[in-house]
Amino acid sequence: MHHHNWYYGQQHILARYCGLPDDFPPPIPGYLQHGWNVGCGWNPAHEFFDGAWRYVWSDAPRRRGHSLGRRNYSVVGAPMLYLMDLEPELGLTPEPERKGTLWFLFHGWDAPGIGANIHGDHQRLIDEINETETEPVTISLYYTEYKRPEVRKVYEDAGFDVICFGERGWNYEGTDRQFLYKQLKAFRRFKRVASNRLATAIFYGVAAGCQPAVYGDAMELEGDNPLFGGQTRIARLWPDMLGKDIDMATARAITDDELGQKYIMPPAEMRMLFDWNQRD
Amino acid sequence: MTDVQIVRGELQPWTDHNPTGGATLLALLDDLLPPRAERTLVVGPHTTEVIELAAARSAAVSVLVRSVSDAQEIRAAVPAEHVTVITGALDGLVLAEPAPFDVVVAADGLDRVLGADSDPLNWPQRAAELWKVAAPEALAVVGVANEFALTGLYDRRPVDARHGDDEWRPLHDDPDRPTSPAQVRDALGADRLYAAYAAAGAVHTLLDVDAAAATRPGRPGARLAVDGLSATAGTMPLLAPVDDGSDAAARAGLLAAVAPGWLAIRGSGGPTHTAYSEGGLFADLDGAEWAVNVSGDGKRVPDTENVETLLFRLAAAEDVPGFRAFAARLGAWADDESVILLDDLFPADAGFVRGFTEVKSTSTTAELLAAAYHRLGDRLLRAHRRHPWPAWMTESDDLVSTWLSMSGVEATPEILKRGRELADQLAEPTPDEPDLRTILADAEEAQVRATDLAGKVFALQRTLRFRDQSLRTREQQIRKTRDDLRGLRRSPAMRLHEITNKVAKIRNPRKFAGAIKRRIRRS
Repeated sequence: MHHHNWYYGQQHILARYCGLPDDFPPPIPGYLQHGWNVGCGWNPAHEFFDGAWRYVWSDAPRRRGHSLGRRNYSVVGAPMLYLMDLEPELGLTPEPERKGTLWFLFHGWDAPGIGANIHGDHQRLIDEINETETEPVTISLYYTEYKRPEVRKVYEDAGFDVICFGERGWNYEGTDRQFLYKQLKAFRRFKRVASNRLATAIFYGVAAGCQPAVYGDAMELEGDNPLFGGQTRIARLWPDMLGKDIDMATARAITDDELGQKYIMPPAEMRMLFDWNQRD
Repeated sequence: MTDVQIVRGELQPWTDHNPTGGATLLALLDDLLPPRAERTLVVGPHTTEVIELAAARSAAVSVLVRSVSDAQEIRAAVPAEHVTVITGALDGLVLAEPAPFDVVVAADGLDRVLGADSDPLNWPQRAAELWKVAAPEALAVVGVANEFALTGLYDRRPVDARHGDDEWRPLHDDPDRPTSPAQVRDALGADRLYAAYAAAGAVHTLLDVDAAAATRPGRPGARLAVDGLSATAGTMPLLAPVDDGSDAAARAGLLAAVAPGWLAIRGSGGPTHTAYSEGGLFADLDGAEWAVNVSGDGKRVPDTENVETLLFRLAAAEDVPGFRAFAARLGAWADDESVILLDDLFPADAGFVRGFTEVKSTSTTAELLAAAYHRLGDRLLRAHRRHPWPAWMTESDDLVSTWLSMSGVEATPEILKRGRELADQLAEPTPDEPDLRTILADAEEAQVRATDLAGKVFALQRTLRFRDQSLRTREQQIRKTRDDLRGLRRSPAMRLHEITNKVAKIRNPRKFAGAIKRRIRRS
């Protein structure tokens, strides 16, 4: 019952997992977390309608939300994990053949009229990437940056492949329903995943078997709301996930926590949780 | 008053309702009373069965009740010649200086032994009166009401409305009345002491106070106590369910201290068990296990938290994976030997052990599990316990279906229906009137539900608006595409394309030319 649920085709994936049509998935009676979050699952100023259920990836956002006076949380695990279950072979590459680094630039956001750009020293970041990575680097730009030639060109001119996985959409329009499919396929052929901020893509990459790295200028987001603590809080809570050489076992354990691996549920259970069984 | 003796202090007209008795008390007395006593006194209102048991174990029995009509009824019911029925007050009996009694049964306590004409004796003075008629080494069984009982603390009635006609003097406003197990022990010199739970006079459960103090929420001992408390509470108007308080008391080791009353035993008698309860149950705490005997069948039950407590805890923590794993374990163990009561089921090794209650059934394992989960859901929701499942699941069979699925059972409509029927048969009796907190919580919940549903309508309308916008966008795209197509059809390039198309279809130019010639000639 909220268009954010369509972001990245997450609702479509869950509908497919439940054996329902994924071209027009049935509505979720609330809000589905659409990205990894240091807060309650959504941005600090997010609206919620009365009685909405909040479907989050892991237990930590539920606890933080409860402390904010919010109720009706249900932990379901990240849709990406369900996609991995649905597509065990998609892009699967034998381990020795995986190579290169898929590097995600922290991105701005795209709500019409209220979106925000990032600002930072791209050249300095490129230099650091070149100093660090030993194999070919592919830069993934979110479409907000991909469509800004002044950003995209900097990375192309640096000799990197630059790709974009698509748009998440707005008000049920423009959603690239293959967004996560494309991302999963890509992750499975790269050896490393990196970013200048600890973010969703890092966790997805680790879940797909990539060695993570988080380094470089974290850059500034216009109008960034520091209510949840920002980058310093991330450094306090997940220091093990920051750096150029992160312990893989630790990264996997943290990723399992943050994506809610143990909360993955069978399709029949999910259908009931989302009230997706026809009652008439 | 044929065959009824009288001493000072009788009440007339008067009846003491709900005389103390019941199968549980009889079971204890059966174990305790010596096979053959010389003189037994039953003082206060007790059931005929208690008097008959005392009569069967004693050469002479005196029964003292303050109500004349009660005495006459007892006389009619127990005509045995060695039973003497006396009406009057305890202080009146003392004045009559009877020969000392070697067994004294005052299980009803010392609150209904005086008449309106008696002196204002407080509790210790009444106890002293009792000892005056008892032999020095007498075996005495004395009930003591607890002014600090949970059922009293949660009583909805104000203090001045609780005791009705009984309080011609403020009987319960007595600073010297013993109000803890230790005080009762001291006051009566008790050798054994039970927490006593009674409903309308019938003793439901007796639990040794040390076992009650040592138990913790969800353990077999606590279950016995909570069952007893519920039986007592079922007849009272309450502010709130006693369950929460009993759990807290059990955690604090104070379950014995908040029992509705105690049964003290002074002097020697036959050996007794740690606990007695309804259905012919008696049990002994033996280290980390309970040796349980129900209607002659013995078994051992681990002194651990029951399954319901563990599942409630997982639900409250919103630990669905933990709940799922536990339900899977339950599903792997379940059998169709007898009904599955999760509040009377205890983990043991890799499996589980049924506790005090065995209810045979011809239902399948899946149906018994469905019944267990229906009952779990009923108890979860009725107590307004915390859990992570939305209203549309709790208001339908979805919640039970989910739990069954976690236990590896596919919930069919037939299984769910049969489970519901079984759960209804096993449900505890509904209290005479709901407690105040439940009424308020239900009202609040209804209000929240109304707000939530209004929110849902808002959200659906907003979604419809977005979808309408999507449809408008699509329609505009379709119209534009159609207009573009029309424009394209009228363009010279499209006309040339159409002619070319037609020309391309001419497979035999000679025939085509001949046809044109013929048409020209005809014209």
